[in-house]
Amino acid sequence: MSKEDVESGLTWEVKANSRHYHKHKQRKSFLCFTWGRYSDNVVRSHKYSLLTFLPLTLFEQFQRAANIYFLLMVVLQCVPAISSIPWYITIIPLLVVLSVRGLKDLASDMARRRCDSEINSRPCDVLVSQSFMTAQWKDVCVGDLLRIRRDQIIPADLLLLSSSEPHSLCYVETADIDGETNLKYRQALGATHNELTSHPSEEALGAFNGVVLCEEPNNRLYTFRGQLQWQGECFLLENEHVLLRGTVLRNTDFAYGLTIYTGADTKILRNCGKLRAKRTQLEEVFNKVVIGIVLSVLLAALLLAIGAGVFSYQVMTQTSFLSALVVDGNPAYNGFLVYWSYIILLSPAMPIALYITFEVIHTIHSKFIGWDLEMYWKQTDKPAEARNTSLSEELGQVGYLLSDKTGTLTQNRLLLRQCCIAGQIYGDASVRAEDVKPMDLSWNPFSSGGLRMFSPTLVETLRGQRCPVTTQFLSALALCHTVMAEWKEGSPVYQAASPDEETLVGAARELGWVFLSRTRDFVVVSELGATRQYQLLALLDFTSKRRRMSVLVRDPEGGLKLYCKGADVVILERLQKNCPHQESTEMALELFAEACLRTLCVAVRSVPEALWERWSETLALSAAMATCERDTLLEKLYDEMERDLLLLGVTAIEDRLQEGVPETIALLQEAGIRVWVLTGDKKETAVNIGYACRLLHPESRLLEWQELRQILQSADPQVSFFKAKQTELWATHKEMARAKTSVVLTGSELAEFEERPEWGASFMSLAEQCQSVLCCRVTPAQKAEIVKLVRKHTASITMSIGDGANDVNMIKTAHIGVGLAGREGGQAVHNADFAVSQFRFLQRLLLVHGRWSYRRISLFLRYFLFKTCGFALVHIWFGILNGFSAQSLYETWFIALYTVFYTAVPVMCMAFFEQDVSAESSLKFPELYKSGQKKELSSPRKLVTYLLYAVYMSLVLFFIPCGVFYNTAYDYQTMAVTVSMAATFAVTVEIVILTKYWTKFNIAALCVSVVMFFICTRITHSTRLFQSSPADYFFLGVSEKAFIDPVVWLTALLTAWTAVLPSVTFHAFNVILSVHNKHKIHNSSPPPVELTSRFARGSSLRRSSYAISQGAGPGRLIHSATSIQRAEALKEEKVSTSKKLRDI
Amino acid sequence: MVKEEQEESSNRPDNTAFTQQRLPAWQPILSASIVIPMFLLIGAAFIGVGVALFITSRDIQLQELDYTGDDSEHPCFKCRTNTEKCTCSMTFSIPTLFKGPVFFYYGLTNYFQNQRKYGASKDDNQLYGDLNYFTSPSTDCDPYTRDSKNMPIVPCGALANSMFNDTFTLSHTVNGVQKIVPLDGKGIAWWTDYNIKYRNPSITPLINAFNGTKKPTNWPKPIYELDTTDVYNNGFINQDFLVWMRRAALPDFRKLYRRITHDDYAAGLPAGNYTLTIAYNYPVHSFNGKKKVVLSNVSWMGGKNDFLGIAYIVVGSMCVVMSVVMLIVYARFKFAEDV
Repeated sequence: MSKEDVESGLTWEVKANSRHYHKHKQRKSFLCFTWGRYSDNVVRSHKYSLLTFLPLTLFEQFQRAANIYFLLMVVLQCVPAISSIPWYITIIPLLVVLSVRGLKDLASDMARRRCDSEINSRPCDVLVSQSFMTAQWKDVCVGDLLRIRRDQIIPADLLLLSSSEPHSLCYVETADIDGETNLKYRQALGATHNELTSHPSEEALGAFNGVVLCEEPNNRLYTFRGQLQWQGECFLLENEHVLLRGTVLRNTDFAYGLTIYTGADTKILRNCGKLRAKRTQLEEVFNKVVIGIVLSVLLAALLLAIGAGVFSYQVMTQTSFLSALVVDGNPAYNGFLVYWSYIILLSPAMPIALYITFEVIHTIHSKFIGWDLEMYWKQTDKPAEARNTSLSEELGQVGYLLSDKTGTLTQNRLLLRQCCIAGQIYGDASVRAEDVKPMDLSWNPFSSGGLRMFSPTLVETLRGQRCPVTTQFLSALALCHTVMAEWKEGSPVYQAASPDEETLVGAARELGWVFLSRTRDFVVVSELGATRQYQLLALLDFTSKRRRMSVLVRDPEGGLKLYCKGADVVILERLQKNCPHQESTEMALELFAEACLRTLCVAVRSVPEALWERWSETLALSAAMATCERDTLLEKLYDEMERDLLLLGVTAIEDRLQEGVPETIALLQEAGIRVWVLTGDKKETAVNIGYACRLLHPESRLLEWQELRQILQSADPQVSFFKAKQTELWATHKEMARAKTSVVLTGSELAEFEERPEWGASFMSLAEQCQSVLCCRVTPAQKAEIVKLVRKHTASITMSIGDGANDVNMIKTAHIGVGLAGREGGQAVHNADFAVSQFRFLQRLLLVHGRWSYRRISLFLRYFLFKTCGFALVHIWFGILNGFSAQSLYETWFIALYTVFYTAVPVMCMAFFEQDVSAESSLKFPELYKSGQKKELSSPRKLVTYLLYAVYMSLVLFFIPCGVFYNTAYDYQTMAVTVSMAATFAVTVEIVILTKYWTKFNIAALCVSVVMFFICTRITHSTRLFQSSPADYFFLGVSEKAFIDPVVWLTALLTAWTAVLPSVTFHAFNVILSVHNKHKIHNSSPPPVELTSRFARGSSLRRSSYAISQGAGPGRLIHSATSIQRAEALKEEKVSTSKKLRDI
Repeated sequence: MVKEEQEESSNRPDNTAFTQQRLPAWQPILSASIVIPMFLLIGAAFIGVGVALFITSRDIQLQELDYTGDDSEHPCFKCRTNTEKCTCSMTFSIPTLFKGPVFFYYGLTNYFQNQRKYGASKDDNQLYGDLNYFTSPSTDCDPYTRDSKNMPIVPCGALANSMFNDTFTLSHTVNGVQKIVPLDGKGIAWWTDYNIKYRNPSITPLINAFNGTKKPTNWPKPIYELDTTDVYNNGFINQDFLVWMRRAALPDFRKLYRRITHDDYAAGLPAGNYTLTIAYNYPVHSFNGKKKVVLSNVSWMGGKNDFLGIAYIVVGSMCVVMSVVMLIVYARFKFAEDV
């Protein structure tokens, strides 16, 4: 590696056909050490191996404070001097928690492992000593030469060496990388193409010994820098020469490539963020509460310990029968020991069972999502799936939905729904595409169905050849495009870089104008069965700036015609004066826009021979010019030619939305969720779809970058934002008063945000005001950046939904990631927390499952907190009356069984089945969802209130029985049973109050729990157990006596009722006040109906666009492949000469 | 039908009420017309129970005699600091018939029998008569496990060591003659304690079981001599011992000492003058404790307990007040709406 290479950053060296060289340097790892340079081509998303499972899982689990805490408790309990309750009371639940959690992790890791191994064992052809052998993906090594067949997924980042197609072109589908489904072309270097295709390929490839120097692995999908050193020459390499892992080879029989990056080094895997464990906000709040409880417990224990010290000093040392019990006769030391004893005794206040119960509930909620028939998609036989089971309650709190466009909102199917020819509109877009009657096209042998336009008059006109404009229109569709035709089973199959073009050419074919084939200079079209050959004179390519394309052809009769199609604005300004049908066509454009159809204007120009000759001379001259000059000249030239056009008509294409998308978006917006669309697609397409799916309202104002920038730069963005809105208000119509604003941004504009981080906050505060935000042309990494921006500046829960590999990053970054199990690869689903088959299933996922889940879990957490704290804090009060000695007020078995048997099942049943309103009502009243967004049920204030309530309960639980038993002959054990009974009753009543939906399981659980209390108490107090171990079951016979004592019962009932009295009263008041509120809702008048005009004014509404892949179209390749060849050769020459110069 | 569906699509979720979350359920819809009467009813019920308890409790007769002797006038004052055997007697009169059966309690105050270490300082296995634990008592009993000569103490522990050892005799002055009221010490302990929880080793004579052990340091005589007259009231199953070993819940407590069941007094203690003679052994002045003797009869609810009745009435009244408040709130809204 030379010094220059290091300087230029090209430090990644790949030697073709030298497996040993690279194998030697392969990255290996042991424990946490890694060495070596090149990673292998194995995907490892699993975490554990046989050896590492136990230590890793324990390490992970003990990162959870609660588990550490309980481990500490177990250790403490083993110290006899401070053990206030036996050690087994804590270790059993701890072990259960650890093992359940561990098994769960293991199971999900196994699933990941299976998924990985499926990917790793995909087949591919590797060149081994001059012949291709089928190997698995995981065996691919840097420097290997691979043969990719048609429709195969590319296993690693490759340098394209040659392909089976002319000029070593090849087509790839990048849907998994950027979400675009149109084909992209890649072309090998001229040098490699020439050398490697001339001989039998295996031999030539086997002898290939080029060395590639390129940049270190990175995540930039659209750039590649490198050079190939071969045969003493040096060739520059660009993105065009590289086939990325995850893309699919299309339309090309074979492509040969040199492996540059493998496995973790590939661009797509570099784009996938790290696997990150997600935690819900509620869980975080709850963790804080738990830490708060622990701190309070420590504080309480400290105070009690001080009390114990004082008591030891003042009372015990003076008291004959207790003095000997002061350890070492040292009150301070005694207090110190008591401190630890109290920590143990109060530890049940920190609910260990909570986490495990929490997980069980989460799992069940996830199951419910998977079981929902309404989210089951029959076509693909896929139910919804909760892949991450611990996020279900956040589904009920989503504030921002960030959605991908392609494949998520749209189906990726474009249909010609209407067209307007010579001012006459054909087809009806108000009928759903599925319901369109098929036309009788049996006269056309090339018809293959799939036209979703019903217009017999058009067919009649065409067949009768009555209207020359209509014929011209169809000719234009059949000629003016860059589609390639491929013959399969006697009929052409179209492959297009732009889905729009494919649709149009397909539609023309249905109507009898069949594009048959193209060569470099000719386009063959069958017009109503008559094959006509047009000479292709020039192809004026599409660029995003020109927004149009044209072909100049000589028809068989010898006439010169320029067919042009493009965005309406561009075409309309190039029409000849007094062009017929212009007005009616513009009307049609409005209509199509209203129906959210994508429009393209089609026009024609008869070119005089003289003009063509002059023009072609200039064109030939320009070919020899330097690139940048040439481009400007070409643009000018093209502009000259595309003038005085005659308007033929307009096509209206529907970008098929997925079923129910507009309704879903509307519903979600009603539910207070802000919907943002992030797409890699171009702006026009995105805006169009935005309108189609009601994300943008026809009346809403689009705030674009220039304006937004000004607002952001101003001193007070909020003020200037409203000012901008106001001027709008005065300037235009009254209806604008209600106008909503939507922001439209592109990726390059977003990049500015990174430079100006201070804009983030003000942008987000503006975005809060806006109805929606649309980001186009964003890379996967930028999508994730946007999610991060939202996460950073709002407290809301974000949800990302997408279907392709380009969405993986954003799916991982958001609080909740949803993968759409669509046609594109499973990458998104693989990384998502939830997988659904249809966008509209989000309705149910969020508004029904999410809302229920949030409510259930909030209630559950709140209740759990109450029942554990209320029951454990009793010991603080008891401490006052037992000399702060950490004496338990309960039998130890009660402490262990209380959380497990007596109180766990009813609250779990509530957390499984609770429904405040039915699923139907949840969808009918989306406003109900807002309570989750506002965290109404889980606010810290609510939790603190509940904690105070728990403290109150503990006070009641101790002091009422204390009052009853004070100065009586009742012994300690009877009191213990009484208080346990009261505690059980109180928490049972509390769950009865909370439960609003009583299934048979709830009722059974409740009854069983209460009965369990009596049975288990009797069992632990039984003779048999006592005889087997007198020291563990010393409560012998207590319950037998207590359960028939009226005073015990009366005390327990009174205590329980007093303990729940605040809650009962609160709920009773709620009932009374809610009756009142319901009346209010019914009485409130419906909002005034918004008056909107059917036809909006101004051309701003028109949405004409032309979706084509990034950058310029592929026209130049089709039309003038030779000239490209020449240009490439020139470039390569230049490079090699410069290299030579440097060498000198 | 279901089977067919399953065949055509294996991933289709089951259509059951459970999986579709459509379980039939009872959703009680509460309204003011239910809630307010409910509160009123519960309140009334609580007040009713409270009144019944209060009346019952008021009817229970109770005679409490503090014999600590803190007051220098008190007959037991002399015994307060006396470490030797000391006897004192107190007289009291019962104005009306003290209905039987009468229970004779001793009471202690400021006595932390519920202290954890104190309470845990015993060996359940030993008390269950397991001879293994006679020679090596549990360390729970520390520092009362072994005496200064390292001999194991049986019964070990602070609880047993501090056993209450005052004794009482009650005499009735009939026509100027003191007539001893017979006190029944049988059946004062719990049945389970007497029959199951505590057991003497099955060695006769009992004394042999205690070879090589020592009596608790505070005890005047070893456990096997607690009641030499009755084999079934000796050793670990001595009723007084059992009563003591059942820890009190709170620092002020009573423990049953005897019952007055003798034929002459079966109907109760007749009105008249009584003398209580106390063998004053147990020191309480170090921790400002009080010693009492309590005579009481019982009702269905046990001993006298005013607190429970009052608490019921208070909570019941709160419910009633709450229901009235709710009614007012409800009426105001109703009223506001109607207007």
